[in-house]
Amino acid sequence: MRRERLVCGVAAVLLVIQATGGPASAHHSFAMFDTANGITLTGVVTSFEWTNPHVYIELDVPDGPKGAKHWTIELGSPSILQRAGWKFNSIKKGDAITAVVSPLRNGEPGSLLTRLTLSDGRVLTNGGATGVGGGVAPAATPPAR
Amino acid sequence: MTRLVARAVLLSIALGTAAFAQTASAPNLTGAWVPMGAGRGADPKLAPPPAGPVVLKPAYAKEYDARRAADAEATRRGEPPASDAVLCRPYGMPRMMAVATYPVEILPTPGQITIVTEAFSEVRRIFLNQPQLPIDEVPPGYYGHSVGRWEGDTLVIDTVGIKESVPGYNGIPHSAQMRITERMRLVTPDVLHNQITIDDPVVLEKPVVYTLAYRRLPNYKMVEFICENNREYVDEKGRVRMKLGQ
Repeated sequence: MRRERLVCGVAAVLLVIQATGGPASAHHSFAMFDTANGITLTGVVTSFEWTNPHVYIELDVPDGPKGAKHWTIELGSPSILQRAGWKFNSIKKGDAITAVVSPLRNGEPGSLLTRLTLSDGRVLTNGGATGVGGGVAPAATPPAR
Repeated sequence: MTRLVARAVLLSIALGTAAFAQTASAPNLTGAWVPMGAGRGADPKLAPPPAGPVVLKPAYAKEYDARRAADAEATRRGEPPASDAVLCRPYGMPRMMAVATYPVEILPTPGQITIVTEAFSEVRRIFLNQPQLPIDEVPPGYYGHSVGRWEGDTLVIDTVGIKESVPGYNGIPHSAQMRITERMRLVTPDVLHNQITIDDPVVLEKPVVYTLAYRRLPNYKMVEFICENNREYVDEKGRVRMKLGQ
């Protein structure tokens, strides 16, 4: 069950990645994140930045993986998250959260959100298939030439 | 003199009324639209047709192919190459018309249709029923100079004057001679297709044609987008990196 959920989350992120290759453009490629090997971060929010081009969570993780006790988590943008049910104040400094993320491939403690669970049990995703385009997948990549 | 002014005023009112009448009887494009695609879950009758091939002239094809291959290899390594958008530069035409799943807002007014995109808050203005300017009279820019007219139920937009440094569709290069023709048409009351034709006699062997599809977002309020917190940067090797917080 847990694995299935993770696969769904990764699929959502991959849909966004797919959009970068077709007629649609994206802010940046997500290839720097290891979307095939998600990790779980449990900690306390030190800041929640509701900004463009991306929203960020800074998280203190006492038992952080890879020996890092502080992690940066990149999310979609306010537009994309709002359509996935987020608000600018969905998270506040001091909140305890658990986040499933795709870590940076270069080993630094930065990551891309897949989904997170708030202390009251609510689950929020990073947009993707749930929050964008009404559930319709982006166009397939056209032939390059 | 007074008579001249009065005539000018009457003429401008008449022209304005004519332009408005044409807009008022046209299909209703007003409002926000979100890009939608083919693929899983899409209605094949509403999904855009597949994009046509990109065929560059030999002088451009070799470098383009080499760059695409190098970019693909870098992306496979997890080191995606830099792009203008990573540096928070706007997309410009024609890429601004479909940025991920950010909506675009279409605002018809008498004599003009304005399109505002949510990503990077880009704005383009399409002047209705006016002749296009010669390309060498348009200052090169991100949006160029656009004129539009209704052909039955289809809004046809002609755009010239896109700066050569503005990245092209699928990374294709373009010259100052590039011309973009858009044909916007409602395929249902709530699904809009925009067939885009890129013609560039200097760079392309034949025009590139692709279609964008959008779904109407009723009552959607466009979200502001100021690129104020860009954590992505390009390192000394040209790779995209992410600034980490404390």
